[in-house]
Amino acid sequence: MAFMSRTPARQGVAGNRVRIAAGIAVSVIFLFPVFWMVLTSFKHQVDIFTNPPKFLFSPTLETYVEYMTRADINKRLANTIIVAFGSGVFSLLVGAMAGYALARVRIKGAATFGLLILLSRGVPPIALAVPMFLVARKLGLTDKHITLILAYSTFLVPYVMWLMRSFFVSLPRELEESAMIDGCSRYGAFFKIIVPISLPGLISTMIFSMILAWEELLFALVLTNRHATTMPVAIAGIAGDTINGANWAALTAVGTITVVPVVIFALLVQKWLIKGLADGATKG
Amino acid sequence: MSDVLAASPGSAKTRRNPLTRDLLVRWSFMLPAIILMVALLAYPIFYTLDISFSRFEITSFGAGEWVGLENYREVIADYRFWDSMKVTLIYLVFALPIQVALGFFIAYLINAPWAGRGLLRALFIIPMVVAPVVAGGMWRMILDPLWGILNYWLGLIGLGPLDWFGDANLAMAAVIIIDTWRWTPFIVLIATAAMLALPKDVFEAAKIDGCNWWSTLWSVAVPLLVPVIAATFVIRWLGAVKMFDIVLAATYGGPGKATGVVNLFIYEEAFRSLRFAEAAAMAVIVLVLTMVLTGIFLRGSRKLEEWF
Repeated sequence: MAFMSRTPARQGVAGNRVRIAAGIAVSVIFLFPVFWMVLTSFKHQVDIFTNPPKFLFSPTLETYVEYMTRADINKRLANTIIVAFGSGVFSLLVGAMAGYALARVRIKGAATFGLLILLSRGVPPIALAVPMFLVARKLGLTDKHITLILAYSTFLVPYVMWLMRSFFVSLPRELEESAMIDGCSRYGAFFKIIVPISLPGLISTMIFSMILAWEELLFALVLTNRHATTMPVAIAGIAGDTINGANWAALTAVGTITVVPVVIFALLVQKWLIKGLADGATKG
Repeated sequence: MSDVLAASPGSAKTRRNPLTRDLLVRWSFMLPAIILMVALLAYPIFYTLDISFSRFEITSFGAGEWVGLENYREVIADYRFWDSMKVTLIYLVFALPIQVALGFFIAYLINAPWAGRGLLRALFIIPMVVAPVVAGGMWRMILDPLWGILNYWLGLIGLGPLDWFGDANLAMAAVIIIDTWRWTPFIVLIATAAMLALPKDVFEAAKIDGCNWWSTLWSVAVPLLVPVIAATFVIRWLGAVKMFDIVLAATYGGPGKATGVVNLFIYEEAFRSLRFAEAAAMAVIVLVLTMVLTGIFLRGSRKLEEWF
């Protein structure tokens, strides 16, 4: 469109060049902090605290080796993977079925429940953290993966439900109708016809859910204390320590371990991620 | 209309099935989500309400005797609660408009037509998937008054070093900067989708009518984008009221209580001071305020749509 892509006429090529240059500059500014963190994680302690800051240095894996063995990072990483994967799969199953129910299965009252579930996006997690902690403590469920997976479903299921609803609505109706005429049950039509077709949408939604679970802090802080703690809790601990000790090396290494896998995943599915996020935001 | 027509083959089939069985199958799609949300959302909210009206028994670790509004009275008289509400309000008032405006502006910039446009768009996802707690820790390092690279650069142009975390106003600015860095890319993404969906012919017409760039922007593009801008604002608001991780990692509410947002304060009261009843009362107040304001914003955005 003219406003977005006007190259010729008054504004001309020069105006477009300015816009491109500014766009690149802004991108560099936004990417720099991550770049700097990753760079710092490969520095020797002496190269971190220099003025002026060093861009060139002899790289080392010192920090990684030290913190992977100490501070239980391996275990926390494993916990984070379990919880992220578990919440992703669980919320996708529950949320996608609900989304399908809202989109296609005509049931009285479902829309009301759908709206209520959607409204829950306005509930501050802190209002849930206190009772969840108390109930989990009473049931002996603190510090377990399943507790976090269930807690995360409070924000993941509504998200998946709404995203998948708009996805299912966009599919042609004839698909499951012909399947059901051919003798498929409702479940058969859903799992054998709809799910395979929706696979790209389902997978990108699941990956986005996993990312949200991967980086969640509040519930993880409240509901775990030793065995099931996740990476964000570890980082919060280290960041809290820097008030006294300035343990930047640890912070950058653990931060890099937390961020890099997610960035790779996100870039792999970026096309779907962008579409899913944009749809979820504008149609939700 | 077409729904009804399209439904007929399906309902012909259901008539052959026992009615209750079919109803069960239909509901079974929705039921897991409903059960889950009742158990994990509705029940905790009622439990919070229960605690907020009770004396909290540390011995049994649960709600004790009913005390009516006592906890609420105590919380409302607590200046620390109001201070944290004020901090939250200041954060929201600055962060939301800055992020929405910046997001749309950056979306305009990075969508300039050239070969690298797709790459820029993809790279802009990166800040968005950096865990907020990592973002807080990372920026803490970048903004450090002694060794931080930003202060070094500010020093080069004669502006620093600034004691970002020692001064109340600067600490709030730091929190807003970090939050803006983390969340603006999300708005850029929505804005990009919205801009690409703008109808072309309107802009052609504006061009033929001799509109310049500025008047095209204000009388054509902005009015068309108003619904999306409003929706973005509401979505960002729903995220921003949950502000917790970045503050926890970057400032832990400091210096003093200058960046102590309400979520952090409630967290501290509950899990550090074990004052669960008061924390529950505060959580209920925050919950109600959030719901009311969200309702107002939703209504406002609908009004705005009607205007344009």
